[in-house]
Order: sequence, then C-alpha cells, then structure tokens
Amino acid sequence: MAEERKAIAHIFSTFNNTIITVTDITGAETLAKGSGGMIAKADRDESSPYIAMKLAMQIADKLKEQGINTILIKVRAWGGHKSRSTGPGAQAAIRAFARAGLRIERIEDNTPVPHDGTKRPGGRRGRRV
Amino acid sequence: MPTQHLKIPLERVGVLIGREGSVKSYIESKTSCRIHVNSDEGEVFVECDDALSVFRVAEVVKAIGRGFSPEKALKLLDDDELIFDVISLSNLSERALKRIKGRIIGKNGKTRRLIEELTGAYVSVYGKTVSLIGYINQVRIAREAIEMLINGVQHGTVYSFMERKRKEMEWEALQGIIIERGGENAEEERGVKTEADETEEKNTEEKQR
Repeated sequence: MAEERKAIAHIFSTFNNTIITVTDITGAETLAKGSGGMIAKADRDESSPYIAMKLAMQIADKLKEQGINTILIKVRAWGGHKSRSTGPGAQAAIRAFARAGLRIERIEDNTPVPHDGTKRPGGRRGRRV
Repeated sequence: MPTQHLKIPLERVGVLIGREGSVKSYIESKTSCRIHVNSDEGEVFVECDDALSVFRVAEVVKAIGRGFSPEKALKLLDDDELIFDVISLSNLSERALKRIKGRIIGKNGKTRRLIEELTGAYVSVYGKTVSLIGYINQVRIAREAIEMLINGVQHGTVYSFMERKRKEMEWEALQGIIIERGGENAEEERGVKTEADETEEKNTEEKQR
C-alpha cells in the first residue's frame, strides 16, 4: 500500500439521527462532516440505516479527494443516563466506509458512561404519557 | 491487528466453546477470527484480520455471555441488520431485582414469551441484565416494553402497548414492500432528498425570512 494517511471518523448514532464528523488524528481539524438531515427527506428517516449508508458514502468520497485511505472509527450513542446502545445508523455507516475502500484500522466505542452521574428522569412510577 | 478483550460469566464459558469446541470453531471458520478463552477467569480475547468482524464477533461473545443460546447469538453473524442490546438492572437492590426479573419473565415465562412473539425480538433475562436480539424496530419496542415493566406499569397495559406497536410495524413493513417494487422512484421513496426538494426547502426558508 502507498503512504498511509489516517483520519478519525466520529460516528454519533442515536435513534433520531446519525452524525458523522471526520477529523485528522489530532481530532482538532475537521476534514468532512455530515448528518442524516442533509440527505433524508422526512425527519423520521434521519436515523435509518439506508440514509446512514448514503451519508457515509458521500463522506468517503470527500475523504478520498483528500487522499485519506485509513480510518479509525469511534462510535458513540447518547450515553450518560440516556440510551447506551447505538442507533440503527452506526452499523450501516461502518459497513459503507468499509465498502467504499477505506481501510478500517480499529472500531472503538466512545459512548460516555457515567461514573454515577445524574438521575434518569421519570421517577418511581415511570414516564406517564 | 484489531483485538478486543471481554469478560463473560464463568458458567457461560462452556457455552461459548461448545461441545468439543464446536461453537468456538464455527465462529472462527465463519469470520477468520481467533478466539482465546481463559477458562479460569472467564476472559475472552478476540483477534481478527479486519476491524469490522472484531466488532461483530465481540457482540456474539457478549450475547452468549448474557444468556443467549449459541443458535440465537450466531444469527448476529449471518444477518448484519440484527442488533444486540442490553438493559442493565444493576441499579436495583437484591429484592427488587428478583421482583423485576419475575415481572419481565412472568408466570411460566408467559410475559417473556409474549414479548418475543409480539415484537419478534429474542429476550434473555440473565443475572443483572435483560438482553435483546432483533431488528432495530423490534428491539426498540421490546426495550420500551421492558422499561415499562421495570417502572411498574401493569402487564395488561404493556401487552396492549406491544399489540398496538406491532400493528404499526406490520403496516410499515407493507409499505416497505411497495417501495422495494418501485424501481425508478425507489431512491425518492426511501427518503433521499431530490434536487426538487432542496430548491423547495430553500424557497420556504426565504419566505420565512
């Protein structure tokens, strides 16, 4: 392989949206970014796997223009006292990156986990709708 | 080479390995990964050639560690869209834990069975966790139903909630079939913005100004 040019892809995947930001390895310089809303027509589609795939493909194109060939993926969900599992878009986006020909060096879970943080809303009797 | 460290309960180590290593070697043959198990500590070390499968194999190992049978956990390898989700009950006291687990399982496993039938996801209640395997919308509904049970909602209310959600799910699946058939407009129907949409959006934005 030619010269290895690395970047970090931060995938923030929730049940309502998928946001991808690609930075250089210091994390300070953004190379490309995008969110589900830039592609989806309806608000409810923003988090769908298909949209996440499209989004990742677009971003992969931008990266290739900049000569990036290796990425390190950091996935995160809402975390904290909210859902700690990633949304439907994360898997799809990772797969799309792999298919686009970018070498994936590592996948990390970057979900914030509280060392006993704030209380989850809802109270003893749960959320009453 | 991408690797991952995991820890599973000692009593699940035997399930992960399988009779004469059958489960372990099946995973290894399917994914080009190597799984090293420390049977004294329950530590599992997954080593693969590509980062993508490390992620997936780690989930399979976690699923087996969370009480799923190998048959159910291995479906994660075959279908990329299946999701493995864990609900933690570790914040409950010992007595509450027993009570809540009983609520989720139900008499003779009635509630657990109903959750599985109505949402289509697999449910495993094990130790201090409830784990789910299924497609994203199935897991979402099952998770919400289980959280309702944890919060103390009556079983009947939860059943009718799942029933309602199942009908919505069936309706959406029906629309999905229609979209799959429509070849030309498929892109648009799957919710991807077209150029016409973008200009329309700009117009409305300008109007608002």
